[in-house]
Amino acid sequence: MSEDKFTSDVVIGLEIHVELNTKTKLFCSCPREVVDGEEPNSRCCPVCLGLPGSKPVLNKKAVEYALKLCIALKCDISPKLIFSRKSYFYPDMAKNYQITQYEIPLGNGGELKLSSGKRVKLKRAHMEEDPAALVHIGDMQKSPSVLVDYNRSGNPLVEVVTDPDITSADEARDFMKQLITILEYLEIFDINKCIIKADANISVKESGYVRAEIKNITGFKEIERALNYEIERQKHDVKEGRKFIVETRGWDSEKGITFPMRAKESEEDYGYIIDPDLVVTEIGKDWIKDMEKEMPELADAKLKKFLDEHGIEETTANVLAKDKKLADIYEAVIKKVDHSLASKWIRRELPRVLHYNKKSLEESGIKAEHMIALLKLIQDGKITEKVGQRLIEKLCVMVFDVASYVKKEGLEVVADVEKIEKFCEEAIKEAPKAIEEYKAGKEKALNFVVGLVMKKSRGKARPGVVMEVLKKLLG
Amino acid sequence: MSEKIIKEVGEINKEYNYFNEIPKDLEEHLVKGKLSGYFVSIKDCIVVKDMESRAGSKILSGYKPVFDAGVAEKIKKEGGIIIGKTAQDEFGFGSFSKNVGVDMKIPLNPFDRERCCGGSSGGSAGITQKALFKHISIAESTGGSIVCPASFCGVYGLCPTYGLVSRYGLMDYANSLDKIGPMAKNVEDIALALSVIAGYDERDSTSVKRDKEDYSQYLKRDIKGMKIGLIKEAFGEGVDEEVKKKINEKVKELEEKGAKVEEVSLPLNAKYSLAAYYIIAMSEASTNLAKFCGMRYGKHEKLEGGFNEYFSKVRSANFGVEAKRRIIIGTFARMSGFRDAYYIKSLKVRTKLIEEYKKMFERFDVLISPTMPVIAPKFSEIEKMTPLENYMMDILTVGPNLAGLPHMNIPVGFKEKMPIGLMVIGNHFDEGKLFQIGKELKR
Repeated sequence: MSEDKFTSDVVIGLEIHVELNTKTKLFCSCPREVVDGEEPNSRCCPVCLGLPGSKPVLNKKAVEYALKLCIALKCDISPKLIFSRKSYFYPDMAKNYQITQYEIPLGNGGELKLSSGKRVKLKRAHMEEDPAALVHIGDMQKSPSVLVDYNRSGNPLVEVVTDPDITSADEARDFMKQLITILEYLEIFDINKCIIKADANISVKESGYVRAEIKNITGFKEIERALNYEIERQKHDVKEGRKFIVETRGWDSEKGITFPMRAKESEEDYGYIIDPDLVVTEIGKDWIKDMEKEMPELADAKLKKFLDEHGIEETTANVLAKDKKLADIYEAVIKKVDHSLASKWIRRELPRVLHYNKKSLEESGIKAEHMIALLKLIQDGKITEKVGQRLIEKLCVMVFDVASYVKKEGLEVVADVEKIEKFCEEAIKEAPKAIEEYKAGKEKALNFVVGLVMKKSRGKARPGVVMEVLKKLLG
Repeated sequence: MSEKIIKEVGEINKEYNYFNEIPKDLEEHLVKGKLSGYFVSIKDCIVVKDMESRAGSKILSGYKPVFDAGVAEKIKKEGGIIIGKTAQDEFGFGSFSKNVGVDMKIPLNPFDRERCCGGSSGGSAGITQKALFKHISIAESTGGSIVCPASFCGVYGLCPTYGLVSRYGLMDYANSLDKIGPMAKNVEDIALALSVIAGYDERDSTSVKRDKEDYSQYLKRDIKGMKIGLIKEAFGEGVDEEVKKKINEKVKELEEKGAKVEEVSLPLNAKYSLAAYYIIAMSEASTNLAKFCGMRYGKHEKLEGGFNEYFSKVRSANFGVEAKRRIIIGTFARMSGFRDAYYIKSLKVRTKLIEEYKKMFERFDVLISPTMPVIAPKFSEIEKMTPLENYMMDILTVGPNLAGLPHMNIPVGFKEKMPIGLMVIGNHFDEGKLFQIGKELKR
């Protein structure tokens, strides 16, 4: 797109690199995943070290993962998978060329829907290998030496490139978020263990859209920070009358600033050739069909179902649909429990206790069966919501069999009216002031007394019943 | 036995420079196999575990591979004893084995030390001619590097179909063209060696899955009714008259023994193969050589300045002139702006050239031409050649190499005591027919 076609104040295009969570690397059988406490250069072989005589062999699983992403992003899938060599000298490159895709990417075009409903057009999605990691001692600029760790070398990446369709830092953040949602739904990416990083091309109207490329931004929160900074910087520099050049900038997350790295006088020349060590992989219609069959229902479809079929409230439906794990648990729970009760608890209470305990759902061990047991007790009026909240808090620390625990601890609702009356009489005595106010016509004052009764019953009395009994006693 | 062989090889090497590396102790294999009793030399560019492997380049000085090439594995498994790494043009860049790496020695022709061995597998061809013990050499060809030195040194040399022999462990010159193949003093040993080294290898993506063959069975078959195409363009200007005469004599012989011979024309190959070959080969080579930068293995220099300066220093000091030339030309041919005109166009031309050959093989079993247009030149003559004249030496051999077709040099006579070679080209995976022809010319 030529620059004079831009109309928005800010123009952003993203190139996002996603690490696929395959078992092995893209061109060898070394394990991909970081092992806790691993030594540098402990997960490599002649291929990912680029030793003379070694040859790459394509990991078909990585292709399947990439295919699923292309299907989800509605790309046109190329019938042939062809890899090229991108040549440039850099110490993190085992061969001084990177195996990537050039002329014919795996996925052409495509789109991604933002939460606003806006569709961001994609240029392409292609596969490539990750270079090694450079390790600096302390500050990158001042480090006396650079070490190279090849454990990462050869990891499978997909690069998703957008059109310059994005018009704010907020949209860029949302794009990343939506992409992560899709990746997690497809189970081809692990937010805790896989790398996702973006390069962003950004320009503002004031400068006549002279673009800067910000390199290596990690995560969606960072992208919003980096781009907001860069937008302000560019506008500021225009006001100051600074000359604009097309340049590459780095992002210093600690200082929260972008800094100039190099001017881009012309497009870098990587001298691409087709990698003659890899044969062309045919991507037949059958293969694509098989992948389509393996595709899970994606967030968009889930959201529509939650809204139209389950009739749950929009915000709740959104929260549930965006998080595959919550959505999965919700869908399992509603087989036994009412939609609105299930959605309310899985949207609010479950994330609340996970957040409080700083645990992921897997770490907590809470499964659909626990939620079903808990919510069924509430639904059937066997326990109060108050007790339910206490139970889920406990579950998050360590899971247990909910039904037998409730029995053992005697947490069922106090249905015994005499007992409640006894609690109420005690409470009335303990709160003379509130009673006085109530009698003077201040209806709300009674809530305090209800609270006292609830305390006495350890949350097992129903607030409605307590209120009735109180009113009766007070005439 | 092995000690005697090491000594013998050492003596030959002192005079002729056929080896870049001879191990002090030979690994004696207790394994009994098809190669028991054979001593095997391996071209320097094919890695052998723990044996210094340099591909003829100073930049790989001290590099001892941590793994065996697929072919080296197979040779050891069949009881062959590896006697060393043979001299070559640096990374295979040449037709005379004169472009050896910095500070390395040029192998000399076994018939006349003032002449070259041919290249790039010069050391392999030389030792194959000189060895008086049971010996096979494992060589490699990108554009003629097996048949050319085999022709100049008067031995058999087979470049198999692309994909038949695993390239795993071959230090690449041009991956889409590189083939590993055997050299020997007789066609029987060639067939034996191919039976050992051929076969699918999952570690090389271009390796072809097909049933194993015993190639010695073809040696028993005659050539009655075999259709031979004699390549017209290979008898034109620039080809030595005595070479032409000798080849024609031999073709007559084949005709007398029942083959049907017809002259054929391959106009596209004659015109375009050399240009397409050099552009593709150099483009690929320039990327393959990028990894040699003094950082991970091989020659190091004192670490100074940024990585760009350091890499430049290592590469400037340790690549030879021809390697630098090919890196520069290859990089140029794939730069944006030139890429479409050179690299991409060459790929398209290559497809056309393959089609031209494939059409021929609808009518013929094999094609024949001289292997080299001349006998082995003197070093004093080579000195006077321009790079282009140098590249012209490959005019007859680049075609089958570009097309991935099997081709073999058969020594058929002499001119001024120097060997003349006949090249027989077969259809893909038709190595057997080459052996039939080879055997027949020996009878």
